[in-house]
Amino acid sequence: MSAPSRSEPLAFREASGATRAAAPAAGHVARRGTGALLPSDLDPTVFDEGFLRQLERLGLLMKQPARGGLKGGRRSTKHGQSVEFSDYRDYALGDDLRQLDWNVYARLERLFVKLFVEEEDVTVTFLVDASPSMAFGRPEKLQFAKRAAAALGYIALAGEDRVVVSALTGRVARRQAALRGSGRVFRLLSLLSAIRPAEGATDLLAAVRHAGAMLSGRGVVVLISDLLDPAADRAVRELAAQGSELIVLHVLSPDELDPPLQGDLRLVDSETGEGVDVTADLATLDAYKARLVAWQDGLAAAASKRRASYAPVPSDLPLADLVFAELRRRRVVG
Amino acid sequence: MPFVTPLALAGLVFVPLVLAMYLLKLRRDPAVVPSTLLWQRLVTDVEANAPWQRLRRSLLLLLQLLLVVLLVLLAARPFVERPAGLARDLVVVIDTSASMQATDVAPSRLEAAKDQAIEALRDLPAGGSVSVIAAGGTASVVVNATADIAHAKEAIRAIGPSSNAGDLGDALQLASALAARSSDAQILVATDAAVTSLPEGALRAPVKVLRVGRAADNQAIVALAVRTSPSGLAHSVFISVANLGLEMATRRVEIYADGVLREARTLALDPQRRTDVSINDIDDVTHPASVVEARLTSPDPAALTSGATAGRDDLAVDDTAWAVVPPAALHRILLVGPGDPYLETALTYLPDTELYGAKPAAYGPSTHPEKFDLVIFEGWLPDTLPAGPILAIAPPASSPLGAVSGTTANPALGRLDASDPVLRYVDLSTLHVAQAQQLELPGWARAVIPGTGASPLLYAGTLAGRPAAVLAFLPRQSDLPLQVAFPILCANLTGELLGGSQTPADAVAPGAPVTLAIPVGATGVRVTRPDGTADELPAPTAGAASVTFARTGELGVYVVTPIGGRADAGASAAPSTPAASGSQPATPAPATPPASPGASTAPTFRPADAAAPARFAVDLLDVDESNIAPGDPARIEALGAPAPGSSQGPAGAGSNPGASAGAPANHGAVAGAATPAQSRDELWIPIALVALLVVLIEWLVYERDTLVRLRRAATARFGRAPGLRR
Repeated sequence: MSAPSRSEPLAFREASGATRAAAPAAGHVARRGTGALLPSDLDPTVFDEGFLRQLERLGLLMKQPARGGLKGGRRSTKHGQSVEFSDYRDYALGDDLRQLDWNVYARLERLFVKLFVEEEDVTVTFLVDASPSMAFGRPEKLQFAKRAAAALGYIALAGEDRVVVSALTGRVARRQAALRGSGRVFRLLSLLSAIRPAEGATDLLAAVRHAGAMLSGRGVVVLISDLLDPAADRAVRELAAQGSELIVLHVLSPDELDPPLQGDLRLVDSETGEGVDVTADLATLDAYKARLVAWQDGLAAAASKRRASYAPVPSDLPLADLVFAELRRRRVVG
Repeated sequence: MPFVTPLALAGLVFVPLVLAMYLLKLRRDPAVVPSTLLWQRLVTDVEANAPWQRLRRSLLLLLQLLLVVLLVLLAARPFVERPAGLARDLVVVIDTSASMQATDVAPSRLEAAKDQAIEALRDLPAGGSVSVIAAGGTASVVVNATADIAHAKEAIRAIGPSSNAGDLGDALQLASALAARSSDAQILVATDAAVTSLPEGALRAPVKVLRVGRAADNQAIVALAVRTSPSGLAHSVFISVANLGLEMATRRVEIYADGVLREARTLALDPQRRTDVSINDIDDVTHPASVVEARLTSPDPAALTSGATAGRDDLAVDDTAWAVVPPAALHRILLVGPGDPYLETALTYLPDTELYGAKPAAYGPSTHPEKFDLVIFEGWLPDTLPAGPILAIAPPASSPLGAVSGTTANPALGRLDASDPVLRYVDLSTLHVAQAQQLELPGWARAVIPGTGASPLLYAGTLAGRPAAVLAFLPRQSDLPLQVAFPILCANLTGELLGGSQTPADAVAPGAPVTLAIPVGATGVRVTRPDGTADELPAPTAGAASVTFARTGELGVYVVTPIGGRADAGASAAPSTPAASGSQPATPAPATPPASPGASTAPTFRPADAAAPARFAVDLLDVDESNIAPGDPARIEALGAPAPGSSQGPAGAGSNPGASAGAPANHGAVAGAATPAQSRDELWIPIALVALLVVLIEWLVYERDTLVRLRRAATARFGRAPGLRR
């Protein structure tokens, strides 16, 4: 008997009745204007019913099955109770006689027990970079990060996975309580909207290490950051080494991809306050863009080496394009 | 390298100024960015990997320093010196005669001559002075000894053509006088050398001729005359066309009467020949012609016979001529005396005259002598002379017309002046006078027929503003009435006394002054030129009979109109017709002779109205000027003084304007001159061009980013840029 393909989607199914009910509920809450449940910086129209239904048809893909905790909708490495046959083993004393394969006994006169694939949930952890540099861009990178986390988080909740949101600020990761079940989507949105840009410099590596220390078991880690940190590649490597499947959404604003700068300038770092004298002529801007591409290529190579997914996305990318085009193309969702 | 204004080199102080501005730290505008992570790496990369990146900023600095140096050089005006080809004081003579309007060299000989003269000024030594003379009908100094070469060039450019027959002689004499002021002078003549008369004697400076012109192809109207037919109703035109070229030519002659084409003929003109054409009856029946215009045009190609060619005509100014039909005027003559059949007969046959007679006893204020154009007193004089023209024949006693000292018998004739208009065609070689009054020649008159001693037989002149003449003998007391000369003398004498027309009847040469008669009562005349401009010429003194008009440089028909006192002029300038006048002046007195046939019948011509505009024509009609064949410049150069230092005379002055062969000879020649004369060529043009180029490059370097962006945008919009196509 062969093991299931690694790339085969482990959870792809129709949305349940419970998740269907979430969409009108979201609209209802939004109309009541309770900011605690649906913050103002998350536009409710982004999560309209049609969009949510489309999200429900997706699921976060994992390259390998992982052991989870509670019963869920994702194939686990454990054998357990499900309808999908996994393997045979010799009968041992004390086994449930209901699992014996009497047809095999009839042919071979030996007792075998049928094993089935266990379906469990996994923990999807969103690490949202809340450093001051994320507050730049038009649209703001942090805003984009929160919306992307909301969309992917909704996919995970709809897939009966656990969702954990951590905000990377300073040298720490502020982990929120895990959410489970599509009914907790409003809690998820509330948690995300509560993330504000931090004051002062952020040490991404230290914050990622802190977040990694709080991971339990294998799961999915989604890092949404601009990675504008000298140790960004190291942070990616260390996070990928935690055993979880890492998805890096590298968010950069259009102004960072093509800086609208001209003349003799002193560029001031928003986090450290350090200045760099630059003559922004065409040659310098061309060199910047080449440097940016090389930097992104380096990050992509580091991620690929650790079997992590790396997706550079501009902050003006529409959310639908991100989910249904960019991430599907990179087989992050499916 | 020498400089004209070396003080301007102090402007190089701006070089360290520009450097200092670059050395000062640039003030950079702060711009907050999310992170300087990539920029820090970038600056490191740029400084490490592209060492000439810093030079890109320095390129602007270098260009700006270069620009400062170039501007300072421009202000300092560097120059190079070379041996001068001309003397230090130059007199430029520009021939502006009519032949210089020939177009055998484009655009015209005059323009080419001006260009050559301006080009020749490059050889003027530094510090030299230039005088410019325009040689038209008269020579005029346009610029006098200026060291401002630009001003001289501008003056040469401003010289316009004239239609005058050239008089290079005057201009050369004037140039010689100007050149005589300096010991190192030279005369530069820009001409076609098509001159007939040259000044006699040598000029006081070397002459160099810049000759223009190549061809001699020209056909010209060289004569135009209008004659009234014996009937008095029609006019005929005589025209003479000359082909001054060396080839056969075909031309069409068109005759216009008052602007209406009346006749056209195609003429085959032999080279170097004149062809005369006479055309009769050019008048419209109901409208007699007043101005006749002849034009020489290219023939209709269809009218050319096989093998004939129209031929070239390089000079257009002599292809048109005008003639004014003399106005028909009726003159009235009053003869006061006992009666002389010979005299009366001769006067009766004068054209356009009416003769009236009166006995001395009947003469008085009631005779209205002021209404006659001429009063002839025969053997008698009144106490008070009339105001009009007078002819006194054998005055009995002294009067304002002259003193009579007695009678002389058989007076002899003195030497006659054949050029006197009164004696034109008059042969008095066989004249015998039986008795004559002994007269003294008064100061106002000239002796027409001088007698022996101081007693003239006929004198004429202007007495108190009126023409007057005195004949010392009665015709019948001589054999004059029996001679052919008698009617001619009568006609000439009355013609002079009657004064002719208000304006000259014959064509006037361009530039020649014209004496215009002022009608009685008018205060002046207004002359309207062919181009429509008008000049008002007031009488120089009260009661002046004429005024001189000199602005006749333009070819065409000039209209003369009396101004001022018009109402009076109409009544007094000329006698009105008998029917129009209130009283019949002399007609009650029985005319001793039968009145002239013209007087007894209805007058054929109206008397001229003095207030009516008169016309005269200005025509070139100069075969010498129309002969545009370029002459020999050596003839003119031979007039000049020998070039200093040249032992064989003026051979050093070549006719080639670009040649400066005489220059080396000048070096050792200028006695006492320590250094040879040098010409300066300023170098500001190439420096200015380089400065402009540097400015352009500096701008391109400064805006290179914008240009690259534009190119990228164009590439993105239109696909591959055209320049990158492979």
